[in-house]
Amino acid sequence: MSGSRSKSIVLWTLVTIALITLSAPTVVVLGASFTGGNIITFPPDGLSLRWYARISQASDLRNAFLRTLQVATVCTLVAIPVGTLAGIALAKYAVRFEKSIQIYLLLPFTIPLIGSGIGLMLVFGKAGFLGQLWPVGIACCVINLPFMIWAVTASATGLDPDLELAAANCGAPPLQVFFSVTLPAVMPGVITGSLLMFILALNEFLVSLLLVDARIVTLPVLIYNSIRSIITPDLAAISVVFIACSAVAIFLLDRLVGLDIFLKSK
Amino acid sequence: MRAARTAYPLKWRIMDALEGVAAAIWPARFRRATPYLMLLPAVLLVGLLVLGLIQIADASLRTLDTTTFQFSDDYSIANFRRALTEPLFLVVAQRSLIAALIVTAVTLVFAFPYAYLMVRTRSPRLRKFLLIALFLPFFIGQVVRAYGWLIILGNQGMVNEALGVVGIAPMRLIYNYPAVLFGLVQYMLPFAVLMLAPALTAIPEELEAAAGSLGANWVRTFIHVVLPLARPGFIGAGVVVLTLSLTDFAVPAILGGGSQDFIANAIYDQFFRTSDQGLGATLALMLVALGSILVGLVFALFGAGTLAMGRSRA
Repeated sequence: MSGSRSKSIVLWTLVTIALITLSAPTVVVLGASFTGGNIITFPPDGLSLRWYARISQASDLRNAFLRTLQVATVCTLVAIPVGTLAGIALAKYAVRFEKSIQIYLLLPFTIPLIGSGIGLMLVFGKAGFLGQLWPVGIACCVINLPFMIWAVTASATGLDPDLELAAANCGAPPLQVFFSVTLPAVMPGVITGSLLMFILALNEFLVSLLLVDARIVTLPVLIYNSIRSIITPDLAAISVVFIACSAVAIFLLDRLVGLDIFLKSK
Repeated sequence: MRAARTAYPLKWRIMDALEGVAAAIWPARFRRATPYLMLLPAVLLVGLLVLGLIQIADASLRTLDTTTFQFSDDYSIANFRRALTEPLFLVVAQRSLIAALIVTAVTLVFAFPYAYLMVRTRSPRLRKFLLIALFLPFFIGQVVRAYGWLIILGNQGMVNEALGVVGIAPMRLIYNYPAVLFGLVQYMLPFAVLMLAPALTAIPEELEAAAGSLGANWVRTFIHVVLPLARPGFIGAGVVVLTLSLTDFAVPAILGGGSQDFIANAIYDQFFRTSDQGLGATLALMLVALGSILVGLVFALFGAGTLAMGRSRA
């Protein structure tokens, strides 16, 4: 980066404010979860792991977390084939009505979440699917599908079509071309997309809130329902589960594809 | 005989069988239709949303009979009339729209330098640090982040406790409009930076150097070179932040404490508190329309920016 001193001062001031704002809730939740007192105070009442001991005993929290994992798994397992195929098709082929199809596939982003959530609630309700977990997973998949398609198209545009032709020319039938040339080439996109889908479904709140009932609450909904005016540290300790999942996802993303992939221009 | 078997391993046999099946159900002459077949599952899945919209439209035309709590069988536009005339909904709509505009402006002001520094820095370590600091909150979810702000800003929160130590009376820092705006900006920052960064990567650094060597200072270089070239990023980021904050539910609900409802909260209340599904559906439909008009307007005026997901066009 080149430039004058005033430039770095202005840039760094804004970036520092952004960094503090971004990190403050995470840091505070982490800190609060280790407090020794019954309520979160400043300065804290010493350090302890008692809230972790407490949440590990609570079966409703554990079950809610397992349900959330289930939802995220359904979402990811559906998104991988659907998004990969659509992404490759959009990136590689000259499709008729391409523009319309793109706009259509962006619907999950243009329709507000509350609209999508209520629409899916009515659809699943009519079909009698409510009260189960898999519709929540499908719903999370639908609303985040553009992320998966983006990730795949981004890596598929880097694939030289001549490679596939060369494979076919050497006698590879279509499926073999797909599995040994096309798929490996878009793999970084598939990995990025599926990690995003998993983590977004894990955190999905509004659509879960609309689609679950009291028997099958997911963890974000449970946390939301438990937030009261008095702030107790056990919620902070559960929230750390999400921070840990987030950290694992970032680590995997960085190891498998590199975080820099998000900086690449198309 | 054994030698022949190893020469043609099992994996190949399976692949042959699969190719045979594939060729039987999807012969080569269908080849031109292959991309459509690949798009089909995604189209069907998104079709669920279209079905949902149809259901919402249907519900919006039925009015609730308050004596029997039944919905009318025949259609009427009474719900739309109510939605447009009741002052409460006007206040809520105004509040959400103004918030969305402010949040978009503030978020872009902070997201641009973040994205710029992240793209332009020569230190891979700093870049990784900025990326991690961005993704960690992005991957944590709204509820937990809003909860973090409650711990910091709440009536018995850290800031007020700290103020108490120095002898200042506690202040009400949450359950007001600025708190919701602040929470939304924090929520939107990662989205905005991630939409801006690819557009900034696409700008060759030499252009800035060239502007500098021709005598422009960094402010002029930004205004005349970097910002115009980053337009696709600003469009993408702006659209995403505008629509997401306009339609947000969790931040107004948690940091607004019921006094700062946005459109999404009003819709939720109609469905689950008042149980007037028809009016709720009407509001939802109007929000979908408002969002689509905003997105359509931006796209029509400026193009899809970094939001386009098809083949790259030279």
